[in-house]
Amino acid sequence: MRILVVLEHDERGLRLASRCALTLAREAAACSDGELELLVMGYEIGFVAQEAAAYAPVYCADLPGLQHCTADRAAKVIADAARDCGAGLVMGASTSWGKDCVGRAGGLLGGAMATDVTACAMRDGILAWRRAMFAGGVGAWIALEGDPLIVTALPSAFDPAEPGGEAGEVTQMEVEEATLPNQIRFESAGTKSGGRPDVTEAAIVVSGGRAIRNSDDYERLIGGLADQMGAGTGSSRALVDAGITPNELQVGQTGKIVAPDLYLAIGISGAVQHLAGMKNSKVVAAINSDPEAPIFEFADYGLVGDAYEIIPELIATLSDDG
Amino acid sequence: MKILVPSKRVPDPDQRIRIAASGHAIEKDDLPFVLNPFDAISIEEALRIRDENRAGEDEGEVVVVGIGGAAYEKELRTAMAMGADRALLVECETAPDPWNVARILQAVVEREQPALILMGKQAVDDDSNQVGQFLAALLDWPQATFASKIEFDAGRVRVTRETDMGIETVSMELPAVITADLRLNEPRYASLPAIMKAKRKPVDRIDCADLGIAIEPRVRILEMEPLVSKRTCVQVSSGTELLARLRDEVGVL
Amino acid sequence: MMVEEPASVLALAVGNEPLTREVFGNIDSVSKVLFYCLATLSVVIFGWGIWRRVRLWRMGRPSKAKVDWRAALRGFWAKVMTQHTVRRSRRRAGIIHALMFWGFSVLFVGTILIGIEEYASLILGRGAHDPVIHKGLYFAIYEVALDLFGLFFLVGCLWFIRRRLRAAKTSIGHNALDWVVILSFLAIGVTGYFVEGLRIIREATPHPELSFVGFGVSKLLGGLGVNEANVDPVHLALWWVHALLVFGIIAAFPYTRLLHVIAGVINLVSTGKHLGQLEPVTLEELEETGKVGVERLEDLTRQQLLSLDACVSCGRCEDVCPAFEAGKPLSPRDVVQGLHQAMDALSPRSGEGESDAPGLHGEVIGAETLWSCTSCSACTEVCPLAVDPVRLIVDMRRFLIGEGGLSGPPAAALQKMQRSGNPWGLAKQDRFDWAEGLEVPTVVTNPGFEVLYWIGCAASYDRRAQKVARAVVKLLEIAGVNYATLGPEERCNGESARRMGDEFLFQELAGHNVETLARYEVRKVITHCPHCLNSLKKDYPQFGGDYEVMHHTQLLSQLVLDGRLKVDSEAELREGKRGRITYHDPCYLARVNGISEEPRRLIEAVRGPEALVEMERNRSGTACCGAGGGRMWFDDALDERVGGSRIREVVETGAQTVAVSCPFCLTMVGDGLAAKAPHMEVVDIAELLAEVIEEPGRSESTSM
Repeated sequence: MRILVVLEHDERGLRLASRCALTLAREAAACSDGELELLVMGYEIGFVAQEAAAYAPVYCADLPGLQHCTADRAAKVIADAARDCGAGLVMGASTSWGKDCVGRAGGLLGGAMATDVTACAMRDGILAWRRAMFAGGVGAWIALEGDPLIVTALPSAFDPAEPGGEAGEVTQMEVEEATLPNQIRFESAGTKSGGRPDVTEAAIVVSGGRAIRNSDDYERLIGGLADQMGAGTGSSRALVDAGITPNELQVGQTGKIVAPDLYLAIGISGAVQHLAGMKNSKVVAAINSDPEAPIFEFADYGLVGDAYEIIPELIATLSDDG
Repeated sequence: MKILVPSKRVPDPDQRIRIAASGHAIEKDDLPFVLNPFDAISIEEALRIRDENRAGEDEGEVVVVGIGGAAYEKELRTAMAMGADRALLVECETAPDPWNVARILQAVVEREQPALILMGKQAVDDDSNQVGQFLAALLDWPQATFASKIEFDAGRVRVTRETDMGIETVSMELPAVITADLRLNEPRYASLPAIMKAKRKPVDRIDCADLGIAIEPRVRILEMEPLVSKRTCVQVSSGTELLARLRDEVGVL
Repeated sequence: MMVEEPASVLALAVGNEPLTREVFGNIDSVSKVLFYCLATLSVVIFGWGIWRRVRLWRMGRPSKAKVDWRAALRGFWAKVMTQHTVRRSRRRAGIIHALMFWGFSVLFVGTILIGIEEYASLILGRGAHDPVIHKGLYFAIYEVALDLFGLFFLVGCLWFIRRRLRAAKTSIGHNALDWVVILSFLAIGVTGYFVEGLRIIREATPHPELSFVGFGVSKLLGGLGVNEANVDPVHLALWWVHALLVFGIIAAFPYTRLLHVIAGVINLVSTGKHLGQLEPVTLEELEETGKVGVERLEDLTRQQLLSLDACVSCGRCEDVCPAFEAGKPLSPRDVVQGLHQAMDALSPRSGEGESDAPGLHGEVIGAETLWSCTSCSACTEVCPLAVDPVRLIVDMRRFLIGEGGLSGPPAAALQKMQRSGNPWGLAKQDRFDWAEGLEVPTVVTNPGFEVLYWIGCAASYDRRAQKVARAVVKLLEIAGVNYATLGPEERCNGESARRMGDEFLFQELAGHNVETLARYEVRKVITHCPHCLNSLKKDYPQFGGDYEVMHHTQLLSQLVLDGRLKVDSEAELREGKRGRITYHDPCYLARVNGISEEPRRLIEAVRGPEALVEMERNRSGTACCGAGGGRMWFDDALDERVGGSRIREVVETGAQTVAVSCPFCLTMVGDGLAAKAPHMEVVDIAELLAEVIEEPGRSESTSM
């Protein structure tokens, strides 16, 4: 089965998320005796195509009109590429762009789609896909019926693929500027302030409580640890009250409701108002100097100790690991 | 301007989900159902667009669409209690998967001819995040997903989107499909008196078959298992051990 | 006729020379007729004014509560005549008002008596100096009393004029007509004495010094050259001035703050115990009217509209409002006066149907104002005329909720209460987890229980509050109380939903709980949460739940008194070293339900009589922590939070420990102190007691 993998890039090259999707693609290929074809699109992306070629043969759509790949254009290119190469499976990463554009492409391709896939396997002779449902409360194995199948991979579930095997060819796709849809006009883009993922979207949240004494310490300890993990930062009400963190970072009943894969509660006592904001986190790890702190009753992992000693340790360990 | 808001009836996200004996469905006994939170946000936005006359047109109409069984009426009443003008219930035997939902909605759109479709980015039960995109593709309408702000300007709609890269702004001509993200607004609370008042508003019913849609299933659930259980705290002795466990046992980091 | 020698007052009473004075002396018949005409006119204007107000009041809905008119009559003495309600706050102004009131009452009664004398005299054909009753000892007492009380009245007027001129207290509402009233009163008082003085000059009567003020005036005027020869026209003129002023005041009565004399008195005596009480709305009413709560004035009850006229804008409520103190846009007085002015602007309709009144929301009262209230009821409690701003606010909140006027965290809290039975949306299956490992009896495991321990949402789910429940359970076990809990079947009782205005969510929760409690035949309930207590005690009877409800401090205090709980003296000594302790009275316990002594007895039992440091605002005068009325679910920055001043007050006591007896207070005071005085400890009284309680079978020597 031909597997078309849609890759995203930024100015530096392939996005990490796309390399994670490649890992799933390889697993799927192994299960189904498939071969990979890669799709990159954009403008002046020769370097991207070259980088991608290290993994598998590449289709490259390189046009001025694809500089800002709005969903209408991207979906058409993906659908056309899928038809051109007779793909039985179209894959992408479950990033915002992936959900937006590969999703629309899925609509053009018959809708046999699964998003946020975390694994694939053969079950009773059928290619099955694993994904979470009910905000991560339920894990499901599903089968897709249709042709082609469209799947987006949850990047955090996979290690990024490394180049391997033989390098592939880069083929330029025949796309005419004039045939590109023009329904969505890109106007502007900006990075989020702060640079860290939003606490409601991040897969990992590092959250600080009363143990943190001032804003500098918050930035150094909580912020530092978060940056090592690519996490978002949050805080309990106590720090907002003390003026140490701004209101936007407050996690709790009257603040943000979050449900990350990992919630690190540092120096947070665990009052019910805070619990109400993070109870749906998949895994909760708590660090607190008080062994009686209520948070421990609500955590999966607990470490009793002084945050000011433990966190620098964690940061050091993580930065050593690179 | 007619705004169509497709919405879904989902289990209350606060509840513990149990798997039914069959193994590929959830236990629905004693489970409160609610309007999908992202759809509530969409309804709220549609109401504001109508009431603040943001699109610059005089007569606005907000129509909520649901696909499901008779029990769905309660959620549609909730939507109308918030202020939607009309509701349409497409009666369907089994809950359709996203592809079929999109096809049904396409048929509804052909009937209703809205200028804007505003819906939640995903439903909190299957978390698919597909229907909006599928529908836009089927209709060949422009789409803007994960909207955090919607503005109208001289016949075009400008949408600010929240992505994992930052904020992006696009503009489109109507008709268009927009899916709502969390920060678009805070929906108003519909209390019982409002829901009762809403009983006077019409709920149109139509059968799936009458729309000419035959369900073509695309997704089949093979097996379900609960992932979150009651937490039992494992005490670790050092930061290093914590990191190791998180990496090995949990799979994060 | 002049009496030569001073004879005894009593002798004159029975002798041939009556101790009296001529009524209507120097008043010719034309003047008399004119007098009666004008009197009638002023009474008619008065009556029409009152009638107009009554028609406005009747625009409202009939109230569901029945008035106990017998109690109202008793209340007339206890509340009005003693001036108790106006004296219990703003002591000085209260006493002065009492003096004015008593003065006015006596003068009023005196006028009636003179009137009776006049007509009786007429009917019986008596001559000018042959009075029916107005003579002798009666007359003597009458004259002294009237002059004395008239003086009280005048002093009162002067004191209040002075206070207004100084304008020191900003919460007192001012109005131009108020000056008309007070100055008229002053003028009436002064002219009255002058007329009396002139009358004394004019007509020699025995013992003129009985009317001592008038007598003094007569001496003064005499000194200025007024005598028998020239007094008549002056007397007549001043008599007319006095009469016209009185008629003017009578006619103006219903259009000025004097209306409070009628509206306020009726409202005050007809209001029974009303703290913490709300009126239910039925589904039928909702179906009929299509709305719940108060949107326009006529949605208020007649009694509520009457109460709007009772308000004199004194501002006592504003002085005690914790939201106002915290800088929120809420002043209970402004709410009442706003509604009052809206009512003034209406033309009354005698029949049914919608009035042309504009909606109240936004125009008269803003949503922000309504949401700021914690329902602490300090305003309702302090009002001398029994106006109930809390109920007005909740009634208006009901409408806002019905119209979708709430969103964000407080709306989410309501939704979670409905779906999960607790405001945090935590799993209802987890509700009884706090009792794990404790062998807490439930209604299922101990069906023969005597008293039900209602846990409440906080102690079920909040780890800090769970410790309170565990302490109570420990104490109940030691005392051998035959109790049970509802276990996982307990659901939020909906108290904060009701105060937020979501009446039907409350009824849904209450209906469920009443059914559960009935199933297990619950009669007696104890709870450590004053909000649960108030709801079970006052809200639930409206839905078929009738229980004897006690606060845990009441039961524990009784158990200590009965010796079923003993304080371990050695432990007490140990813990006693913890220093001074202060007690924060919860609003819903001390004020709304009048329970403030039992917690103190317990503190005394644990720490000794000297340990307690009282705050200035204590018992029913306590200051709100800020969490009631659903405010717990709203988001407030620390310096904007209601109750900030209470935290400062707690810190200023210098105590090491602050005891509370409410889980809301536990959180609010705890959070407030953690930010401002982290060395202070916050504990529930049950925890204090549990720490030092003598446990049966435990060895005495636990100390080193």
